[in-house]
Amino acid sequence: MRPTDRQYLKSHEWCKIENGIATIGISDHAVSHLSDLVFLDLPAKGASVTIGESFGEIESVKAVSSLYSPVTGEVVDTNKELPDNLEWLSQDAFAKSWMIKVKVSSTSPDLIDSKAYDAHCQAEG
Amino acid sequence: MILRLLVDPPAPAAWNMAVDEAMLTLGNAPTLRLYSWAPYAVSLGYFQRAADFADLPAGTTIVRRLTGGGAIHHGDELTFSLALDATLLPPSVAESYVLLHDAVVGTLAELGILSERVAAGHGQSPRPADRWCFASAGRDDLITPRGKLLGSAQRRIQQPRPRVLHHGSLVLQRPSLTPFVAAIADARHTDALLPDLRARLASNLARALELELVPGELTAAERALAAHLQVARYENPAFVQLR
Repeated sequence: MRPTDRQYLKSHEWCKIENGIATIGISDHAVSHLSDLVFLDLPAKGASVTIGESFGEIESVKAVSSLYSPVTGEVVDTNKELPDNLEWLSQDAFAKSWMIKVKVSSTSPDLIDSKAYDAHCQAEG
Repeated sequence: MILRLLVDPPAPAAWNMAVDEAMLTLGNAPTLRLYSWAPYAVSLGYFQRAADFADLPAGTTIVRRLTGGGAIHHGDELTFSLALDATLLPPSVAESYVLLHDAVVGTLAELGILSERVAAGHGQSPRPADRWCFASAGRDDLITPRGKLLGSAQRRIQQPRPRVLHHGSLVLQRPSLTPFVAAIADARHTDALLPDLRARLASNLARALELELVPGELTAAERALAAHLQVARYENPAFVQLR
C-alpha cells in the first residue's frame, strides 16, 4: 500500500504538498522497473520547474529516464545526499529518497490519488 | 502493427544522434533504424564526463548520446536504434534487454556466430568502473569468448507518452580505441556478411516485438527536427561538455 498522504503522476513521480511546498520523488514502482540505479541529476536550488516538463534525469544500468514535474514553481531545496546514496530509493522511495522541494505556484491536473495510482501500476505490469 | 525499417547510409555522429532523438520524441510508428558512422566517432553515455576523454587522439569526433551507459568507439560496426512506445516492450528495463538481446543472439547464430547473453552477473551495479561500454560485461550483455560484442543503452521518456529509444552497437571489426572488444570478424569475413546480417537482424527484432517489418523513410517532420537537433544539441560544444 503506497502512502495516501500524497498524489502521483502516471509517469511515476509522487508529490506531497504542505504549506505551499511540494516535496517530489519517484515511486517504488518506478524504482523496481529501473533497477540498479547509477546516476541522478537534479536541478539546483533556485531553478524553475514546470508542470509536465523534465526536472531531472536518472540512470539505471544503461537506461536514462527523465523525471517529470507535477508542479510549476521554484526549487527551494534538493536532496543533495541522494545522488550518492541511490540505494535509498530501493529501500524506501517515499521518505528519505525525496528529490526536490518546490514552492508551488500551480499543480498538475493529472495528479491522482494513491488508489488510482495503484490501479495504474497494476495495469502497467 | 508495423515496425518501420530505415536503412541509412553512413552519416556524421551528430546527425545519427539527432535522427534517433527525433524518432523518439515525435512518436511515429515503431521504428528500427540501421546505420553506421562516417567519420568514425566516440559517443559518450549521457551521464559521462567529457573531461574523462581528454586523452583521445586529436581530431577524434566526440558526440554525447541521449542514452546511458559507457562510451563507444563507433568504427566498423552495425548500429541499430529502436524507437517505440514503451508498451511494446516488457515493462522493466532488464526484461527489455533480455528480449532484444536474445533476438540478436538468434540472428548471430543463424550466421554461424556463437554468442550468449550473460544470464547472471552484476546485481546492484556500482557506477561503472571503466569509461568504455565494452570494457566489461554485466548481466544481460551479449558476449563471445573474446569479450563483449554488443553495446546497448536506452533512453526512456514519459511525455508526451511513454517511449523508449534503444541503441545497439554490433561490432564488425575491432575499433582502434577499444581493441579489447569482441568482433564479428573474429568468426566471419564481414564484407559479404553485412547485407544478410542487416536483413536477419531486422527480421528477428520485428519477430521478437511481434511487429510486421515494413521498409520506410523519415517523415518531413522527423527530418526537420533532426536537422535542428544536429546543430542545436549534438554539434553544440555545450552539450558535448554538459558534464
